[in-house]
Amino acid sequence: MIRKLIVPLALGLLVLGFWAEPDLQEIAAGVAIFLFGMMMLEDGFKLFSGGVLEKILSKATASLPRALGFGMLTTTLMQSSSLVTLVTISFLSAGLITLTAGVAIIFGANIGTTTGAWLVAGFGLKVDIAAYAMPMLAFAVVLVFQSSKYMRGLGFVLAGMGFLFLGIHYMKEGFDGFQEHFDLSRFAIPGLLGLIIYTLIGAAMTVVMQSSHATMVIIITALATGQITYENALALAIGSNIGTTITAMIGAITANYQGRRLALAHLIFNLITALVALVFIIPLVQAVNWISAGFAIADDDFALKLAVFHTIFNLLGVGLMLPVLNPLIRFLEHRIAEPVSDKATPLYLTDATDDFPEVAEEALRKELGHLMENAEALIATGLNLDLNDLKQAPDIAAVVKASRGPHSYDYSRAYEHEIKPLHAAIVDFASRMGLGSTYTPEAIMHHIHEIRDGAGRVVRAVKAVKHLRGNATRYTQTDQGATTVMYNAIRAEIARMLVEMDKIRKEDPDRRSPLWLDEERVQAKRAYKDAIHVTEALIRDGSLTAAEATSLINDSQYGYDVIKNMVEACKRLHSDSEEGVDEVERILSLDEDEAEEMAMTPRRGDD
Amino acid sequence: MGLGSSVEKLDAYYHRLAQNKAGKIKPDHVEKVLKKLHDKQDALKADIAATDKTSKKERLEAKLAVVQEQIKRGEWLRDKITGDATTS
Repeated sequence: MIRKLIVPLALGLLVLGFWAEPDLQEIAAGVAIFLFGMMMLEDGFKLFSGGVLEKILSKATASLPRALGFGMLTTTLMQSSSLVTLVTISFLSAGLITLTAGVAIIFGANIGTTTGAWLVAGFGLKVDIAAYAMPMLAFAVVLVFQSSKYMRGLGFVLAGMGFLFLGIHYMKEGFDGFQEHFDLSRFAIPGLLGLIIYTLIGAAMTVVMQSSHATMVIIITALATGQITYENALALAIGSNIGTTITAMIGAITANYQGRRLALAHLIFNLITALVALVFIIPLVQAVNWISAGFAIADDDFALKLAVFHTIFNLLGVGLMLPVLNPLIRFLEHRIAEPVSDKATPLYLTDATDDFPEVAEEALRKELGHLMENAEALIATGLNLDLNDLKQAPDIAAVVKASRGPHSYDYSRAYEHEIKPLHAAIVDFASRMGLGSTYTPEAIMHHIHEIRDGAGRVVRAVKAVKHLRGNATRYTQTDQGATTVMYNAIRAEIARMLVEMDKIRKEDPDRRSPLWLDEERVQAKRAYKDAIHVTEALIRDGSLTAAEATSLINDSQYGYDVIKNMVEACKRLHSDSEEGVDEVERILSLDEDEAEEMAMTPRRGDD
Repeated sequence: MGLGSSVEKLDAYYHRLAQNKAGKIKPDHVEKVLKKLHDKQDALKADIAATDKTSKKERLEAKLAVVQEQIKRGEWLRDKITGDATTS
């Protein structure tokens, strides 16, 4: 009910305000243009994702100082701590960076966001900023219509900056006109009460505008025109730091537990910083005066002094929190526990990664890995084998031969619970990437299709085992001569494939190649052909009945299908992420006919 | 065994490259893949030398034949790519 009333109430208040004071229109339009500029800036930087942004971010989080510096630098460049926070949440959700690195980026972003205050106080209010905005907008439009996405991205960034400048100009003009009729400073509240009330107002303004940067610009322009007192402006600035945590909270709603931990870290950091600033407001103000004097800032230049205050109180926050970063991480991990591993729940696919194609691809790839691990365990159990025993076995055929007892296992239920939901989630996520509003580069879309195809192959492999399972159990529980030997051969071939997959998973990503799996494919094809030849020979000498032979031929085909599909899925999972290298792998890999041809080649031992 | 589908796949790659739908292959990319294949070849040779069981030895030798085929194709691809890089 209240939510439904908010929009009409806000619009009504604006109409009332515009009617009462026409200059308010200019201020409101300035805020609107400024926010529009921020949206364009974010859209522009998002066009650089799908490669550049993600690569920089992944390299920048290698150490704590680098992550901190990265948060600072990117927020300074993008003038949006919100975008940096959302990118960080998406990286964390996709499992690409550590929580410590994520928190350090957020700390850095808080310092980076203070540059906005300097930009406005030091530049925006002192020069005719609109004069810079006009050519920027004109150049931007030319770039926005280019076909290259990077040129378009540059165009949006330039347009964003232009609108930011224009917004600041109109806010300044609006406040200049406003002060001729009104004096908002009449509402100034001195002392502790003013500090608390204006902190709450600053937080509320930021929540409404979803931008601490926009709040700071309004505060500085209002302060510069004398509409608010310096004391109340300080409280508003503290409040804006609290309000900005809402952006991260909203972003974390769709994120996984890591994203929620980051949002909580952001909240704790900003609340503690705000609390310290409120408690030590007097010494902080004295420090601002002292530093301002050192930098030859005029005693009555409150706008610049506010920028100094904003910077030192955020630096103070980082200075206070960095020494307790490790306990903070432990607290976050304890407070928001990692969910108990549920095989049916996707681990990496969250809405938080949607906006960043390369992150989304990586999340999808990791989810395929999750699906394959479930499938490998299920396939082994379905064939009455223990995957852990197989991984440690020096002689796989011997372990398979000894594994006779049927595992009491509801295979269909396990498929419904452990495979189907993950496959559905991968298909849904991949389809969303194809249809989404975010620009997804062709190469990434190609990888996404391959991963989705890989997930489909895993499902086909699991279903093939479902068909094979009945006879494999029937003929291997007790020794039934040649038929048992043949079924154990099928099981052993699949078991070897499972062990190879585990080995390649554990191999250093820089050393492994999906091409290695072609060996398994050829081997499986050869085993299938051998099975057919042997079955035909056994029919001829009367060792097999026609019914047994038919089952064996069908099940040999199922066995080959299991290996072929799992190998192809595994190749998609481990294909090199470097553009160009993945193309080389594709060209060199063997296709079905070539695997068949190689399988026909006599073995050296057979010569 | 000849180069099989690699020739067709290379043609398809050039077609996609012309349409800006594929990343450009550089000689370094082929070298990177070749190194991994050579590493695998060395590992298989070591396994073969350490194996006494005949059936396992045969299996490993068959795998070695696949890797050697891929190395042969990789070297052919490297020559093609290096040649293209020199002429362009």
